[in-house]
Amino acid sequence: MKRDHHHLNPNPDTTTSGKVKLEEQDGGMDELLAVLGYKVRTSDMAQVAQKLEQLEEVMGNVQVDGMSHVATDTVHYNPSDLSTWVESMLSEFNPPTSFDPVLATPPPPSSGMGSSFSTITSVDFNDSQKQQLNTPFFDESSYSDYELKAIPGKAVYSNTLDSSSSSNHNETSSNKRLKPSSGSNSETYPTTSMAPFGISPDPTRPVVLVDSQENGIRLVHALLACAEAVQENNLTVAQALVNQISYLAISQAGAMRKVATHFARALASRIYGCCPEYPLDHSLSDFLQMHFYETCPYLKFAHFTANQAILEAFEGKKRVHVIDFSMNQGMQWPALMQALALRPGGPPTFRLTGIGPPAPDNSDQLQEVGWKLARLAETIHVKFEYRGFVANSLADLDASMLNLRPSEVESVAVNSVFELHKLLARPGAIEKVLSVVKQMNPEIVTVVEQEANHNGPLFLDRFTESLHYYSTLFDSLEGSVNGQDKLMSEMYLGKQIYNVVACEGVDRVERHETLTQWRTRLGSSGFVPAHLGSNAFKQASTLLALFAGGDGYRVEENNGCLMLGWHTRPLIATSAWKLANKTAMTH
Amino acid sequence: MMQFSETPLQPIHQIPLFSSTSSMNKNQINRSRPWPGFPTSKGLGSFGDANCMEQLLVHCANAIESNDATLAQQILWVLNNIAPPDGDSNQRLACAFLRALIVRAAKSGTCNKLLAAMANAHCNLAVDNHKFSVIELASFVDLTPWHRFGFTAANAAILEAVEGYSVIHIVDLSLTHCMQIPTLIEAIANRVEVPPLLKLKLTIAGATEDIPPMLDLSYEELGAKLVNFARSRNIILEFRVLPSSYTDGFASFMEQLRVQHLVYAESGEALVVNCHMMLHYIPEETLSSPIPSADSNTLCPFESSTSSLRTMFLKALRELDPTIVVLVDEDADLTSNNLVCRLRSAFNYLWIPYDTVDTFLPRGSKQRQWYEADICWKIENVIAYEGMQRVERLEPKSRWVQRMRNANFRGLGFGEEAVAEVKGMLDEHAAGWGLKKEEEDHLVLTWKGHNVVFATAWAPA
Repeated sequence: MKRDHHHLNPNPDTTTSGKVKLEEQDGGMDELLAVLGYKVRTSDMAQVAQKLEQLEEVMGNVQVDGMSHVATDTVHYNPSDLSTWVESMLSEFNPPTSFDPVLATPPPPSSGMGSSFSTITSVDFNDSQKQQLNTPFFDESSYSDYELKAIPGKAVYSNTLDSSSSSNHNETSSNKRLKPSSGSNSETYPTTSMAPFGISPDPTRPVVLVDSQENGIRLVHALLACAEAVQENNLTVAQALVNQISYLAISQAGAMRKVATHFARALASRIYGCCPEYPLDHSLSDFLQMHFYETCPYLKFAHFTANQAILEAFEGKKRVHVIDFSMNQGMQWPALMQALALRPGGPPTFRLTGIGPPAPDNSDQLQEVGWKLARLAETIHVKFEYRGFVANSLADLDASMLNLRPSEVESVAVNSVFELHKLLARPGAIEKVLSVVKQMNPEIVTVVEQEANHNGPLFLDRFTESLHYYSTLFDSLEGSVNGQDKLMSEMYLGKQIYNVVACEGVDRVERHETLTQWRTRLGSSGFVPAHLGSNAFKQASTLLALFAGGDGYRVEENNGCLMLGWHTRPLIATSAWKLANKTAMTH
Repeated sequence: MMQFSETPLQPIHQIPLFSSTSSMNKNQINRSRPWPGFPTSKGLGSFGDANCMEQLLVHCANAIESNDATLAQQILWVLNNIAPPDGDSNQRLACAFLRALIVRAAKSGTCNKLLAAMANAHCNLAVDNHKFSVIELASFVDLTPWHRFGFTAANAAILEAVEGYSVIHIVDLSLTHCMQIPTLIEAIANRVEVPPLLKLKLTIAGATEDIPPMLDLSYEELGAKLVNFARSRNIILEFRVLPSSYTDGFASFMEQLRVQHLVYAESGEALVVNCHMMLHYIPEETLSSPIPSADSNTLCPFESSTSSLRTMFLKALRELDPTIVVLVDEDADLTSNNLVCRLRSAFNYLWIPYDTVDTFLPRGSKQRQWYEADICWKIENVIAYEGMQRVERLEPKSRWVQRMRNANFRGLGFGEEAVAEVKGMLDEHAAGWGLKKEEEDHLVLTWKGHNVVFATAWAPA
């Protein structure tokens, strides 16, 4: 109740200079929590992290794989019920007219919680109206998901909280102290000095203030504690926490709620062991990827920057051959073909080998994409040769299968967008593929990867990293105008979250690693970096600025590689590579 | 115009998960496509040439106008790669249009962060228009027949029309800062017939500071130079600058001229109005009747729907009862309200200055940068601006001829002497330039057979 009191009598200093303060404080704040709307000093987080590490040391390396023995009858929340979940997500975007008004109201204070409840308040900063005028295209209705709403059929609150987590609540509400987990020493968070800001660091959106900071902090800690419990194989705690997470998630607004929901689903699936495979087939994932392509600049950035390197590497070549490890719907190639068609000196003969997984319905989807590209090639007068190559894994590939021509006849570019990390699931696969790439004797190898380490040995590390990473990604999606594109993009990312968190062994394919790690790997495999020029950087910045719909996106140059990020956090990295000792191919 | 992929993205039956949410699917099919619709029309013609660039620019403009970010980004990427700012003339032309489209996109509400972002990325969009000194501008104007054609034809016609007058009042509406006048003074000084010239009055419109070419000299200084020059040719020159603006259709300028003409008109004074590439800055759009009086709705819908500042200017001009009016302007139509029409029209006209530049300015020269920056300015104005800010509103010769006739002028035509003068001038320039004599003796400057600038002479009917 202290919180409410504080809110009714806001510090006048805070309300008038809030925006300035927000900016001032940005630097020292923990990014993850800032995304969630909390201003917590990074230095404090370091202490927390240290405690967590100590805890881990004490408890040792917990084997997390063998938890499928846990009984699954106690499911409060069925993560495999995707269609219900999708429908509930959809109803958020298109609320039916007969929407139950009861559901639209904030959940009543739970007596079972014995702690403060959430209220929601809109705060209009002085300039937010102006900003709205500047962006008239922005649909008011797209804000609707900021409102606190119960998700039908999901807001099942379990009273079976274990004692440690309820003591956690008491402690939080009484003296603003929070614990990173139920078992560790408590550390002080300077929550009392927090200004009541909205959750989004993007100033172009009206700030909606959710007075549920404690819930938000509890949510993050419940997520981390749950992950830790999973790592410790403490399934009773994990189950209790995962239920708490779903409850806490609905008290949150926007990106945080969605991200937490995805993580909760993945955790639940891992805990209950009921859902080994995300129930989406590849054609659906292609479909989702296209929405991801439309909604946000990440994939477009990947394509532009990779194409730039390829186009420059093909300069003056008469016959060129792109081997695409990430063919999908072939979205990367029309622009390159058009640019090749119009290049000075006339177009080269363009050969494309598109590699992709088999379609679930045995349709020849790669061939269909090829036909469409062939039609385009015809209209722009580019000689075009295409082959679709179905492979379960890139590791199944051999250079001899690709009918390569000698490099003096044909120049090869190898392109991989969000594919190489999947090879890390199978021992030796990446080494095999890189050696096959070397046999292809390419002019250039373009690699686009997620800039994150989701492949650490410890589950909790992977979880924490990915929570951070996807919170940022989801936050960047919040500015998206089209609700349905956004929803599909969230599902696209949700699928990755699920894989990082719920899967293990060969099933865990989203093994993102950082550019630094890829540099080491590619460097030791005989590749040298090919710098993406300043032209590519300028171009990427311009294209991004043109239509990114918000100024949160940043292009950065990092030792000849280009990174696209949201605010200060790089999220996607494009790098280009050449063979260290490029030799003429002998056949 | 814009082509999306012919086949819908995914047949719905392949996605059973979503089959229940039919409203969503309908929307999806409209919005999604396997890849952004690239121009695939058969009309692209041969690749690598200006036609294809034009098509891409048109597609890009359409994408920007319809807020199709994905397609616009794709085409911008392609254009960026095929239209380097230091490429051949077509590439530089496309580059200038591309730049203008980016400026347009940046000005639209959706990407108001663009300019800041571009500044961060050190992409300079601003056109740097050079401020010429008088000497620079004179030699600059002499490089190409673009302006010289009009100067030569006009001077010849004026000289003929003012024969026998001892006082000549020249009203110079030109954006070339009186560069035409010294030659005219010289020609008048050299004429042999009597009576001798007593006085030359020159009135110019101070209206063109914001339109290139820009001069680093004030009108007063410019006037002093002209007066000195005239004195050296034994001619007394009175120089006046009347404040004016093309945005009001030179209304105040014409009013002052009318009053002064009435007050100071000396007997035997010839009034010469020289309009050199200036009138197209007068808004041509029909005025929406500003004073809806009680009877305006019913009684004069015709007048309110046909009068524009351009029409009103010509009406006022006719009322001055000038001895001769010379109208020289660029022969193109950039008045469409439709961006794509304007883009096509401008692209199919402004290739000419880029194509000709190789014949008179070396690559990388300062003057070439100035020259191309001024074309860039024009392209940006046509493409990126709307409303009152869009001032490059060229109309083709046929429309101007119609306007002049409607304002009760009759065509004077150019004599053999004028034609000979122009031909002599063209001989000093590259082979691609030509002279065409069209109906009623209008003269047209051509480049490789394409109309560039027209010159017409008029007297009150």
